[in-house]
Amino acid sequence: MPVHDDLSAPEVIADPYPYFHQLRAEDPVHWNPKWGGWILTRYDDVQWAFQDRRLSADRMTPFMRGLPPHEAEELRPSFDIFSRWMVFTDPPTHTRLRMLVNKAFTPRRVEGLRSRIQAIVDELLDALSDRRQIELIRDFAYILPVTVIAELLGVPPHDRELIKRCSDEITLFIFGAIGVEDRRQRAQHALLELVAYLRGIIEARRRAPRDDLISALLAAKERDDLLSEEEIIATCVLILFGGHETTTNLISSSVLALLRHPDQMRLLRDNPQLITTAVEEFLRYDGPSKAMVRFALEDCELRGKQIRAGQRLLLVQSAANRDPEQFPDPDRLDITRQPNPHVAFGYGIHFCLGAPLARLETQIAINTILRRLPGLRLATEHLEWHPTIVSRALTALPVAF
Amino acid sequence: MRRLRISVDRAKCVASTLCVHTAPAVFALDATGKSSVVNPAGDTEEHILAAAEGCPVSAIVVEDADTGERLFP
Ligand code: HEM
Ligand code: SF4
Repeated sequence: MPVHDDLSAPEVIADPYPYFHQLRAEDPVHWNPKWGGWILTRYDDVQWAFQDRRLSADRMTPFMRGLPPHEAEELRPSFDIFSRWMVFTDPPTHTRLRMLVNKAFTPRRVEGLRSRIQAIVDELLDALSDRRQIELIRDFAYILPVTVIAELLGVPPHDRELIKRCSDEITLFIFGAIGVEDRRQRAQHALLELVAYLRGIIEARRRAPRDDLISALLAAKERDDLLSEEEIIATCVLILFGGHETTTNLISSSVLALLRHPDQMRLLRDNPQLITTAVEEFLRYDGPSKAMVRFALEDCELRGKQIRAGQRLLLVQSAANRDPEQFPDPDRLDITRQPNPHVAFGYGIHFCLGAPLARLETQIAINTILRRLPGLRLATEHLEWHPTIVSRALTALPVAF
Repeated sequence: MRRLRISVDRAKCVASTLCVHTAPAVFALDATGKSSVVNPAGDTEEHILAAAEGCPVSAIVVEDADTGERLFP
């Protein structure tokens, strides 16, 4: 076993890949006592776990059941929202929720946003043009996705700050930041603030529909009553939340990957048409979602290990994406890699709704940065990652140009 | 109704099952969980095109079987 069999050890947070390589080689279906669940690190096992219907995506019910009664009661309002997130539901509820919004996020629909995304990227970079050093996340990578997703939903641009603040707090709940006291209470406070805000927008769109996603969801509700008002709200919160943090992290980890591989940076700068395979490689190499959790509904067996009903599993996407049986030379960044069947967006029925949007935003962001900031370089050697088990997120990325 | 030629790029398919829900008589999941075409005439052209458009990874191609005209993407 690894010296530190600990998902949240500082060295594993800083660089999780050696730990995952060791697990995959020595014990690919590993019971981790500290985390209290099975850790899956092989590509084929992770893919299996994303698909097997004996494993449930409902992480909220077991979580609530595990709380002391008074705390469960206190967190009921959060639970009422999160339990309606499609990402935490199984079929048939999942199918209904997903089918209703899927149309708005298809590759073709998203392609229609290209010129608007390019314009936002250009505006953001224009505003930085007289600077020589920036913090790429705060000054750019944070703002782009939240601006795009707010526009798509139909949330006025000046309320971006509220959304950003609330979803930072919600992150504490969902991604389980380590070492933050009162995180659930804080998250609940922010969540309810966001819900109240969205109710106002929904009311306004009901009276005067516009060409935005909230109006489309309301129309779907009117038309065939397939969606309750609470589900509309939960879905909006999910899309706002899912739609920016992760994309922010992908943009920053992509820039970092290029800064640390100057040959690949040169290759992409000279051949911007490589951006499609490049972004797939950034997702594989150091994607924003390290792992996803599932709960066993029934006993199942995997590689001779007995997984019992009620136990949880950590599907380590970062490990699957560097499985040498699937990806030749997996620790090498190769922006021309093809095929590249990474699982950075998940796999199976919960495959990321926003994947086409995240792809397009990141493609445009990276190519525009390379074109407009030719002298781009790291302005520090001290980088830190947020101490969470399931996401891979830089705290800051200072760059100079 | 014109005859359609439908294909699923299995290397791209991520087993989302979305096409199966949109046009259940046309698409089905095989043993590996990926989608394949079981009956290209199993549904209306509208539903089949909606399934192709709804695929999150653009794995579905639809053509006119007689003229070869590309209908999606
Ligand atoms: C690089 C950026 C992104 C990454 C790495 C990412 C990753 C993921 C992953 C791994 C899942 C699967 C969750 C599971 O299996 O439990 C997922 C689901 C989801 N993502 Fe993303 N995501 C990204 C961007 C977005 C964006 C931009 C949106 C907003 C539209 C979004 C909305 C969603 C939603 C709604 C789901 C739930 C889908 C379902 O349950 O059917 N994501 N995402
Ligand atoms: S919609 Fe696309 S990804 Fe999903 S099962 Fe069908 S072909 Fe595969």
